[in-house]
Amino acid sequence: MIPEDSAERHALAGEYVLGLLDAAETREIAAVLATDPELRKAVAFWEKHLHPLAALATPTEPPADLWDRIAARLDGAPPRRAPRWWNRPAPWRWATGGITAVAAALLLYIALLPVSPSYVALLHAPQQEQVAWVATVNRDVLTIHTVAAANPPPDRAFELWAIAPGSTLPQALGVIPKDGVLRVRALPSDVRLGATLAISVEPPGGSPTKRPTGPIMFVGGLTTM
Amino acid sequence: MPCSELADRSIDTWEILRHDMTRQLGTARDFMDDTRSATLSSAGALIEAVGNGSHDALKRLYELESRRLYGIALRIVRRPEVAADVVQDAFIQVWENAKSFERERGAGGAWLTGIVRFRALDAVRKLGREALSDDSTLGDEALAPEMVERLDAQAEAWALKRCLGLLDDQQRRCVILAFVDGFSHAEIAERLAAPLGSVKSWVRRGLIALRSCLENHDSRR
Repeated sequence: MIPEDSAERHALAGEYVLGLLDAAETREIAAVLATDPELRKAVAFWEKHLHPLAALATPTEPPADLWDRIAARLDGAPPRRAPRWWNRPAPWRWATGGITAVAAALLLYIALLPVSPSYVALLHAPQQEQVAWVATVNRDVLTIHTVAAANPPPDRAFELWAIAPGSTLPQALGVIPKDGVLRVRALPSDVRLGATLAISVEPPGGSPTKRPTGPIMFVGGLTTM
Repeated sequence: MPCSELADRSIDTWEILRHDMTRQLGTARDFMDDTRSATLSSAGALIEAVGNGSHDALKRLYELESRRLYGIALRIVRRPEVAADVVQDAFIQVWENAKSFERERGAGGAWLTGIVRFRALDAVRKLGREALSDDSTLGDEALAPEMVERLDAQAEAWALKRCLGLLDDQQRRCVILAFVDGFSHAEIAERLAAPLGSVKSWVRRGLIALRSCLENHDSRR
């Protein structure tokens, strides 16, 4: 929960920048930042003032082939990395802490698709562990579906938003149909790795403004498999 | 004790002299930064060029910043192959998100640092600290008493250095262990052999004191 008290909020922003919040809290802040200029200012304050501390880490020569690996990915090649994802300690467990069996199965299914998606996001209610939505991004198409039969309140609809990393402005991706599946074609180019997805409660046709007007119900970050 | 009181007690003539000299140095440095960005060699200008789709600018940004950023990642994740993955992902993120870089929010260097730190912290959360390092001296460097002295004398660092100097030892250690080593509350508690609750409150109180001191400093600039 984001505290009301100004000093507390500022300290929370500091903890966010220090990296002391857990993954779910971090995503919650990232989503709230989109609509909260005061918190945004507090985060910018800490980013700016704490940055000199980064100089305490000794600059080190990266592996010689690192640029080539990056350049290859710019051309659309899949990431090349030392340990493959299935060798890592159960990726679906670290992703959210406590993922449902349904979502785990879904992720496994996604991983085994002939064309594996570039990015995946697991969305859940702030402060809760149970995954409610799974989103995948393939080239410039995003698909999101509910894995927990999440329904909006009566006479309301769920609307999907994206916040690019480093940005604080949510972009509307569309109102999610009643069947709980939304496909977004021509995804904005900055909605990729590290972006936050959020679902808010809106009037049936979607937010009347360009910003979320109702509460944020689910958040998740786009990450590689 | 409020930060301003502490400040009053510790400032002597020598401090004031040193402050003025550092400030002049800072102004000269800002001017040099501005001149360099005109030739697209500052991180901020390069990030903007990357936002316009320049591969070349990304490569130059890599040449300019990769040693610094790899060092930051390595300090947090400890394992070279993981640090390389972190930097790889970070540069892809820079490529995809450079358009949303807002220059007024801060210098390009701070923006890049933020991306690399968050990706490195993600890696630690995913892989677990035990899988990354069994080094029992982890965090020792951050606890060395002269750590704060190593912050260099540029204007921005000067304020932080002075304000960190006003925190009590435990509060200062918490901030440095979190930012530089990427430690969680629990890891800091283990490292300092202190209860988790104490660590959480040291961080909170440290940040509150740090903020009032830094804001004081900002308003005097």
